[in-house]
Amino acid sequence: MSAAPTAGDRLRRVLAIVPWIVANPGVALSEVAERFGVPEAELVKDLNVVWMVGLPPYTPDSLIEVVLEDGRVWIHYADFFSRPLRLSPAQGLALLASSDALLSMSGTEPDGPLARALVKLGAALDLGDEEAVGVDLGTAEASLLTELRAAAAAGTEVEIDYYSYGRDDHTTRRIAPWRVTASGGAWYVEAWCLTADGERIFRVDRVEAVRPTGEPATHRPDDSGPNVEIFHPRDGDPRITLRLSPRARWVVETYPCENVAEGEDGSVVARLVITATPWLERLLVRLGHDVEILDVEELPGATRLAADAASRILARYNS
Amino acid sequence: MSKLERLLNLTAVLLATERPLSADELRQQVEGYPESTPSFRRAFERDKDDLRTLGIPLRVERVPAVDPPLDGYRIPPEEYYLPDPGLDPDELAALHLASLTVRFEGMAEQEALWKLGGSLVPAMAAESVVDLPSDPALIPIFSAISGRHPIEFRYRDEDRRVDPWRLAFQRGRWYLSGHDHLRGSERNYRMDRIQGAVVVDHGATWSHRPEGSAEGRTLQAWEMGEEESVEVRLLVDAAQAGLASRQLGPGVVAETQPDGSAVFVLPVVNTAAFRSFVLGFLEHAEILSPPDLRSDLVDWLVSLVEAGDDV
Repeated sequence: MSAAPTAGDRLRRVLAIVPWIVANPGVALSEVAERFGVPEAELVKDLNVVWMVGLPPYTPDSLIEVVLEDGRVWIHYADFFSRPLRLSPAQGLALLASSDALLSMSGTEPDGPLARALVKLGAALDLGDEEAVGVDLGTAEASLLTELRAAAAAGTEVEIDYYSYGRDDHTTRRIAPWRVTASGGAWYVEAWCLTADGERIFRVDRVEAVRPTGEPATHRPDDSGPNVEIFHPRDGDPRITLRLSPRARWVVETYPCENVAEGEDGSVVARLVITATPWLERLLVRLGHDVEILDVEELPGATRLAADAASRILARYNS
Repeated sequence: MSKLERLLNLTAVLLATERPLSADELRQQVEGYPESTPSFRRAFERDKDDLRTLGIPLRVERVPAVDPPLDGYRIPPEEYYLPDPGLDPDELAALHLASLTVRFEGMAEQEALWKLGGSLVPAMAAESVVDLPSDPALIPIFSAISGRHPIEFRYRDEDRRVDPWRLAFQRGRWYLSGHDHLRGSERNYRMDRIQGAVVVDHGATWSHRPEGSAEGRTLQAWEMGEEESVEVRLLVDAAQAGLASRQLGPGVVAETQPDGSAVFVLPVVNTAAFRSFVLGFLEHAEILSPPDLRSDLVDWLVSLVEAGDDV
């Protein structure tokens, strides 16, 4: 916060700091400042207000006593501020959700400090024994996530075995990961791919193995800020226009579409960017009669895709 | 006198009082209010707003034995004080680290950590940060879960009354699970499909949540439906068995065959969603049983082949 804190902001902080000092008599001012992320000078200003607070008749014996001595602090006679204010629902939810998410991604340590904190927090929030909040950021093997995050943090290269869903193809690649992130229910690793000699994004649940090479990464991203787009349609990629029945609406909620138009019967017309034909083939065969192809100028083969894929799958069932 | 000092005095007096205090009594007892009555009124209104914004439970009750009736104010200590969760320093640091690593859109976790005693987190290496999206209904529903109150909302064009049990973030979306009074059983709802506002019925409480209900596992699309459950055996070829196993998660029964392929046994209550999942494997997977699900899939494929022949 660069602007001067308001009285409300200061009140929030003071109502939390006072009970903590009461419970930790003689604590160093510097520790209080660090713990609550407040400059020491501001902390002293707040404490100078606290010692004038109390109950009527505001005689010295009814006021809070703040003792500052040799960089240490004691607070006496603050019975009414002996405990902090309850967590608001938003605060309780935020702590539970963040913790549960971190637990699910770090390979659960059932007796670790975070797991213990979650149990205690649930009790303090009156939630009973059953879990009230669960966060699953995406399916990925914790050990692979850990390897990839370690490589990103250390700036080293790894070799991965990768299954490309769009191309229905297994490859081994050498990559320099720079960021591991979760989005839309899946984990992704953003990396420089030495095999393809370009920036690539891989889905972690399609990574089958990670082998550290120990080699320092030679490529770094220009900007590793958040909001890197997961899908990179290129101008040259073909587009296809589909009419989707209400049952197939999930397509527009799941994949990036251009020009989505709502129909009166609940159907939608959407234009999709096709980066790989096998991906479209799967989509069409899954949607069946809930999709109608409206224009195929950029992808003349598209009309046969679903029928050809269906024939191949049928062959398996008929053998 | 600073406003902070006055707000602290006001909070202390309201916490310490055993009976509701009228505005006039507060004006006399709390130092720092302006002299003139209109200025006092304005300042007092603003202070009440400030306390409520902070989440302080300011109660308005009748002052006893006064005629005509008069509003009084107090803060019930049992509603104000945070019960001590008894967190050890390493547990508090773990919470702090979690709140830094997984950022929850629009939620102020810093103050929550202050209330728990603040914490010292060692300087970290550049950590990957995950952003967790929010939903406007999350906070009212969470407060209803902790207060065990039923909630009411509109879903799939029907008015629902639900005992909320659990909020889950799965596949990039928030879900609610609980007991649906209209259906008479446990249901899951996608929160982005809730129509309009969620109303918490503070006047009622629910007590029974069956053991093992709304368990922690992520539900697959074919586990969310209203059909009778059938057990499906699905064969996945060796090349994609690993991928399938990761998608299905631990806890799913799988028999690995000598050639590396695997047979998964899955409970299905939504056959359309299951068909979509199976077809995602193209010719690398096959429904082995039950026979009617297998023949449904064959019919689906035959109709696609026929439609292709008509083009």
